[in-house]
Amino acid sequence: MADVVVIGAGLAGLVAAIRLARAGRKVTLLTKGLGGLQLSQGTIDVLGYAPERVDSPLAAAASLPATHPYKVLGSDAITAGVAYAQDLLGDRLVGTAAHNVLLPTAVGALRPTCLVSPSMTAGVVTGGIKYVLVGFRQLKDFYPKLCAANLERQTAPNGDPIIARAVMLDLPAVADMADSSALAYARALDDPSYRAKLASALKPQLREGEVVGLPAILGHRDPNAHRHLEQLLEHAVFEVPLPPPGVPGIRINEALTALAKDAGVRIVAGAKVVSFESAGGRIISVGQATAGRIRQYAADAFVYAPGGFESGALAMDSYGTVTESTFGLPLHGLGPDLVTAEDPGNQALFRVGVGVDSGMRVVDTAGHAPYSNLYAAGGILAGALRWTEKSGEGIALASAVAAADSILKGA
Amino acid sequence: MRSLDVDVVVVGGGSTGVGVVRDVAMRGYKAVLVDRVDLAQGTSGRFHGLLHSGGRYVVSDPNSARECAEENVIITRIQPTAIETTGGLFVTCPDDDVDFGDKFLEGAAANGVAATEIRIAEALAREPRLNPRIKRAVAVQDGSVDGWQLVWTAAQSAKEYGAEILTYHRVTSIERDGDTVSAVMCHDAKTGEDVRIGCHFVLNCAGAWAGEIAGMAGCHDVQVVPGRGIMIAMNHRLVNSVVNRLIYPSDGDIIVPVHTVCIIGTTDVKAPDPDHLPIPHDEVQEMFDAGEVLVPGFRQSRALHVWAGARPLVKDSRVGAGDTRHMSRGMSVLDHSERDGLKGLLTISGGKLTTYRLMAEHIVNAMETQLGTTHPCRTAEEACPTGSADATYVPANYHVTHRLHDREEDRTVDQILCECELLSRRMFTDKLAELPNGSLDDLRRQLRLGMGPCQGGFCTVRAAGVAHEVGTVDIDRATGLLRLFLKHRWLGLWPILYGDQVRQTALDNWIFSGTLDVEHLPEGAEVV
Repeated sequence: MADVVVIGAGLAGLVAAIRLARAGRKVTLLTKGLGGLQLSQGTIDVLGYAPERVDSPLAAAASLPATHPYKVLGSDAITAGVAYAQDLLGDRLVGTAAHNVLLPTAVGALRPTCLVSPSMTAGVVTGGIKYVLVGFRQLKDFYPKLCAANLERQTAPNGDPIIARAVMLDLPAVADMADSSALAYARALDDPSYRAKLASALKPQLREGEVVGLPAILGHRDPNAHRHLEQLLEHAVFEVPLPPPGVPGIRINEALTALAKDAGVRIVAGAKVVSFESAGGRIISVGQATAGRIRQYAADAFVYAPGGFESGALAMDSYGTVTESTFGLPLHGLGPDLVTAEDPGNQALFRVGVGVDSGMRVVDTAGHAPYSNLYAAGGILAGALRWTEKSGEGIALASAVAAADSILKGA
Repeated sequence: MRSLDVDVVVVGGGSTGVGVVRDVAMRGYKAVLVDRVDLAQGTSGRFHGLLHSGGRYVVSDPNSARECAEENVIITRIQPTAIETTGGLFVTCPDDDVDFGDKFLEGAAANGVAATEIRIAEALAREPRLNPRIKRAVAVQDGSVDGWQLVWTAAQSAKEYGAEILTYHRVTSIERDGDTVSAVMCHDAKTGEDVRIGCHFVLNCAGAWAGEIAGMAGCHDVQVVPGRGIMIAMNHRLVNSVVNRLIYPSDGDIIVPVHTVCIIGTTDVKAPDPDHLPIPHDEVQEMFDAGEVLVPGFRQSRALHVWAGARPLVKDSRVGAGDTRHMSRGMSVLDHSERDGLKGLLTISGGKLTTYRLMAEHIVNAMETQLGTTHPCRTAEEACPTGSADATYVPANYHVTHRLHDREEDRTVDQILCECELLSRRMFTDKLAELPNGSLDDLRRQLRLGMGPCQGGFCTVRAAGVAHEVGTVDIDRATGLLRLFLKHRWLGLWPILYGDQVRQTALDNWIFSGTLDVEHLPEGAEVV
């Protein structure tokens, strides 16, 4: 029997599992899929908009509505969560939760975020920056001309104009293939000879002082790919995240999964948690629908980090009834007009989720815990519009660390 | 101001209008068609896709039934690429009147509608997802029709006979010289230019908007009642043939398989304004309930998109003012020389997409009567051009493998921009070259861009990126196109958002807001 069962293999689930295992707990992590990190842009956002653009996430988090996860967690929990990610991922992350930087997106918006991969930092917009965005004819998710033209319509934070232009390369990731994914390019760029090929095609087209923006494909497994390419090009290079599958997210996922395994976390993937047993106000075990039968996993405590509507952990049926699909937990944020004709990014539906107390124990709207040993973390939490706010990773980290610490304290 | 002179101006680019301009052009007149937006952007693109066998009307409207039966055969012959010959079933559901089937079979026999009662087991073998508790089943020759394909192939035929098609040309006024129509004034929304089209005759085929057009010529009180109906596309072909309830025509009693989806329809409520058609929550629920009766488990399927269309119904004093379903489905031609003393203007309304060719024939005959000329109508004999399809194309049932087969040839040399609908980059850039001023919705209607399960999640940025990259649009317009397309997709999504489509919407939000931060791009251009 495990001490703790963690459900979900996204940022929240992995981080909670590692923290508990490193503290000596026996942890089993159950997951249906590969976790949400590969769907993400691969940066650590804390708070980008509230609703105006935020410069200091910690300060801005303090003035969010009381129902927001950050208000439940408190500023120290955010700091602790982000600090723990930096402990775990070390030189894979650069930045601080105290302030945001602005990075170009694939369509040329300037997106606020906190901690980024070192392969992205050269792209941070500053006064006088000159970008050259580089695309590949065979990669359909990045249009450098569109990105550059939109960047040129904006200014740097100091008011300077942004200079940007585009270069398109005709360089397949796989010979004779006209349609390759970002991941295929990332795998090709794990090979130093392909990096040399890319550099020889690109270098003659670069101009003095330009910062080179490439789609986020600079190596899947080889952490030196970015640095090596900078050396070959003799220019600063940065990665622009693409729609999923997102290579920077995949890298973080693989790094955290390796850390979890090293810490002794038992990961059981590929099957959904479909049932549970409870007694005396406690969860006794959960059932995972493995091949042929439902296998029970008993534990003293459970961390529920399955994501929100994007994973199906939260669902709405054709009558408009919203449910949490594993435990049937009470939901927060319900009400009329959950979905309206307004902007899809600002729907009340996506604020619906599970409520927690400051120790991340699941509670109903009256503050009562239906199960004394059930904790929640990440995208399942009520009160945030993670994508619109650019707050997903910060919430995941802060709540995962807080949930793990509650369990470790024996709360 | 631009000006041109023609014999006939056809107002309205729906199925009736293109049928009319084709007929007029084939009879040797110099003709131009104008529409305020794209072809088939009104009612002809907002219906359920049913090519009637006539079965639906054998009891309620025998004349329409007979016309449908005849036109079904003609359309399938002259426009095969627009048709899937799915066949259809009328089934008596558990709570339906069993005896209605007898009236149905009598009516079918009397009106030339092919109909054969089949065993329940046979019906369930054909359609395994059908309610196993059905009590009777009648097989008919319903088909499924792609309204856009139908309209474009007819328009293409008209062009080959010298007609000109002017989309995004809104009629601003109709000029008269004494008691005769002399010109139609238009505004070109894409270029901002005004256009004067001198003519001898105007054929008003503006459907639900026909009253407004007639009013511009000083002919007031033309009573066309917009009958609003909602339709919901489900993400699978839950049925492979058209399934109707064997009852007096009612709401939500038809499911039509079209391409990769099937469409349930419809409701029928009098609408005050055909430009503002709401999609009420209770009607959406009614469709799901009705779907559940025909196909148990319907509510567990994924709903992709919802839309509303406005039927142009002729007002008939015999029925209550709020009940549009039982107004005449029949067509009627208004001769404004008799009604209003204005020569050179005819208005057509009523009818249905299946009988569009016949409607055209009627109004063009009426025009020739007024002009004192006669030319034979040949629209039923001559096939429309099939575009890239083989000349020997035979309409067939859709199979998922067709599209894969289409892409097999070029899969290593071209990119797929829209995985849901297997749209290649080349298909997109070719169409973009034809429609350089097109919005992404204009392109969608031709290419099915963004019409699949992800509802534009992956293809929208690619489409805007390619259009900007090839130089067709500047950055203001590219950003405007991107934003407008996302806005329009959402309009057809939010009223039916549930189940897996919620999950998809969350992923789409993750992409557009989370990763790309599209909402904070600098403003784009106003796009039409």
